[in-house]
Amino acid sequence: MPSQHAQNRLAAYSTPLILSAVLLAFVLLVVVLDDKALARTAAEALVRVTLVVGLWIFVGNSGVISFGHAGYMAIGAYCSAWLTLKPQSKALFLPDLPPWLMDAQWPVFPAAIASGLLAALVALLSGAAILRLSGIAASIATFAFLAIVNTVYSNWEGVTGATSSVVGLARYVDHWVALAWATAAIVAANLYANSASGLALRATREDEVAARASGIDMYRHRLWSLVISAFFTGISGALLGHSIGVLNPDSFYLGITFISLAMLVVGGIGSLSGAVTGVLLLSLLIELLVRAERGITVGGAEFALPSGSQEILIGVAMIVVLILRPAGLTGGREFKLRLSVPRIPLSQEPTSTN
Amino acid sequence: MSKLGVFDISVRYGKVPAITDLTFHLEEGERVFIAGPNGAGKSSLLNAICGRVPTTHGRIEMDGDLLTGRAPEAIARLGLSMVPEGREIFGSLTVEENLRVGTGIRRDAEAVETDIEEIFAAFPILGERRRAAAGALSGGQQQMLAIGRALMTNPKLMMVDEPSLGLAPKIVDQVYDTLVALQEERGLTLLIVEQSSLRAARVGGRMVLMRGGRIVGEGNAADMADRDALAQAYFGNTQPEAEEVA
Amino acid sequence: MTNLAQLFFDAASLGGLYAMAALGIALIFGVMNLVNFAHGEYIAFCVFALIVPSTDAVAVMLLGRAPALLLVPLVLSLGAAIAIASEYAVFRHLRRADPVAMMISSFALGFVIRNALLAIYGGRPKAISLWPELNTPVAIVGADVPLLQLIVILTTLLVVAGLAGLLKKTRLGLEMRAAAENFTMARLLGVKANVVITGAFALSGALAAAVALIMATQTGVADVRMGGQIMLVAFIATVIGGLGSLPGAVAAGFLIGAASVLLQAFLPLDARPFRDAFLYSLVIVCLLVRPQGLFVPASAKPRV
Repeated sequence: MPSQHAQNRLAAYSTPLILSAVLLAFVLLVVVLDDKALARTAAEALVRVTLVVGLWIFVGNSGVISFGHAGYMAIGAYCSAWLTLKPQSKALFLPDLPPWLMDAQWPVFPAAIASGLLAALVALLSGAAILRLSGIAASIATFAFLAIVNTVYSNWEGVTGATSSVVGLARYVDHWVALAWATAAIVAANLYANSASGLALRATREDEVAARASGIDMYRHRLWSLVISAFFTGISGALLGHSIGVLNPDSFYLGITFISLAMLVVGGIGSLSGAVTGVLLLSLLIELLVRAERGITVGGAEFALPSGSQEILIGVAMIVVLILRPAGLTGGREFKLRLSVPRIPLSQEPTSTN
Repeated sequence: MSKLGVFDISVRYGKVPAITDLTFHLEEGERVFIAGPNGAGKSSLLNAICGRVPTTHGRIEMDGDLLTGRAPEAIARLGLSMVPEGREIFGSLTVEENLRVGTGIRRDAEAVETDIEEIFAAFPILGERRRAAAGALSGGQQQMLAIGRALMTNPKLMMVDEPSLGLAPKIVDQVYDTLVALQEERGLTLLIVEQSSLRAARVGGRMVLMRGGRIVGEGNAADMADRDALAQAYFGNTQPEAEEVA
Repeated sequence: MTNLAQLFFDAASLGGLYAMAALGIALIFGVMNLVNFAHGEYIAFCVFALIVPSTDAVAVMLLGRAPALLLVPLVLSLGAAIAIASEYAVFRHLRRADPVAMMISSFALGFVIRNALLAIYGGRPKAISLWPELNTPVAIVGADVPLLQLIVILTTLLVVAGLAGLLKKTRLGLEMRAAAENFTMARLLGVKANVVITGAFALSGALAAAVALIMATQTGVADVRMGGQIMLVAFIATVIGGLGSLPGAVAAGFLIGAASVLLQAFLPLDARPFRDAFLYSLVIVCLLVRPQGLFVPASAKPRV
């Protein structure tokens, strides 16, 4: 008979199953509807799932708000562009790339992995410094990191194309590719959250002082979670680039920082399910509002929201959620399967495990 | 009608109960000590009365006015003043500014000035250092400042949380002498948290024993101190706390 | 010598601008632990209030046409008004929320204001001319200093002195300082939370308006994004100055202004476009060396 503890663990591992199933159902629905625009939207939403789940691995477990993740995203996106673009177009747009990178023409999958690894490496280095801080000082430092990445990528003319966009990325990221990566991110996030490091880190989130007192090396666990987090965030950057085909440093600045944090907070920062819920709900809301801005025909009469109302309403929605449900829509709870193993009272052992 | 009426209140922090179904009264002009071990709920009781922590159950009244559910500033404006544990003086403000923070609720500008001079007369060291940053005062001086500051709101009821914490016995004597003198002069009602039953007995007044969020004993402070053996039974061996270096 | 004087005026005027913006953020952080990301948008809002709402590229002055004697108080009260309104509409409902939730909601509020401005005025930066005569240079100790730089430096000094006076000499100032140090204790002494918080927002908004007027005159441009950069710098200044410390915010604002001007002057030509990257790296170093802030006495307790 599985002990209560083992049951809890099993139930914890059921979360990624449910979340992936939801995403799969979402993709299947898109396939059935056979709508090109919808498929594109779905792919973008799933790329955001990878991003926000990546962000959650750090923010959700450590409780430290990061404004720097768009920086890891930019690093991943540009890395994939360097590795996959045709040498001729690189010679034209990015003339200062080193020769080996200039000639590189990797397949997309290893390029995505490499993008994630580069972002993770940068996270290891930047995090080694930034994570010595805690609380608001740490958040500010992540903001400074984002500003550094943005300044470098916006001005390094021969390597990043600076503010002129890098074009011609292979647009291979459709809803299936995005689904695969979103699922991978969810599984990894769940594994991390239930690992010794993840559990220890969440203990520090609840009570930093007590966790320190009980010998938890908060710094190491935070750094470790940031590295994993940046890996998936970097990949989400690469995916975003290969989904829209164009890169610009400002696509990885305050706008995406805001929207990814908004999704995380609206869904509920405390749980992986919250991260995924937030992305899906806000993506849906954004899509509806975008369509409403273009105009909806109801019974011959056309209505259109004034342009810009999409962003305004998203912001308002976020504020309302924060006021009414500060812990987000999921309130920090995970979706779990209830295992139907009957609870038999333990007569012999003391019931110390709850 | 009693000065302060606490009816069946409960306070909890998250799921941890701090006070359970506590009822308690304070008469006009009375001096009451609350004693009990750490975690007995003494500070929680004071914090609940002054509106710093919410009650989950029950009601609190002062002079017939309902305090429960009111904001701390509203309660202060009804004539209740607090000297909190750890004193919580404003370290970056000067001594005199500390005294003036609480005078915003008063309309008698001239009396404020004479009151300030009175406090400087009662605690001359504060007068000497009236322009100094309060954070630079010693622990004992900060305690006097916290008491002076609480008096400046012109309260009818004053609550003092552990005035002796971290102070040398000689300073504690001085603090209590002043408190008693002020009470007699102004007709204050005093509610004091005091760990030491001996100290309470020496000062005199009623004593209430708390333990585990409830009142477990009550009586004249002098009698209660005699029954310290009883307290020992309640609390186990009361070790003197590690004293904070002031 | 000329160069040095020039550098000094550049650093002092830029630093003054940063210091004023940082004060606006520190004031609110001090009383309610809110890191107000919408502050940059208050600035943009005040700039756009000067012109007629339209998406045309050419800006037509609206408030901007009023004489300075009327314009300045008008814009300052407008800044105060939007700050008070945002407190009333958003932050008042989040008083018991944790600082993270408040910080993110201010981010959201900023996003709303920015997009509202975009919807009304369009995304293209517009040329505006507010007091153009102030940009004429005057010669001082051998340096050609635009009159405006002098005015900025003077204004900063006036604003800082005025604010210091207000905080030191008035009842509201006393209550705000007490509340900034220990809000609960201040309330236990009868200080009304709403009065203090509304006061802090009003002052903060007025400071944003002052920054807006200076920026509009200096750059001659109305751009929705103009608040973002300065907000970021101001935000950083409040942290390295020691969160909640007003003198620290001012000092750090000047320090960042000076560092920025010095980097611009002495970095090798190739590295100059990356000036901000160096600046923010310095910020991270500052934080690592003194996480509690550069200008906080060692005895101060960490607030966060």
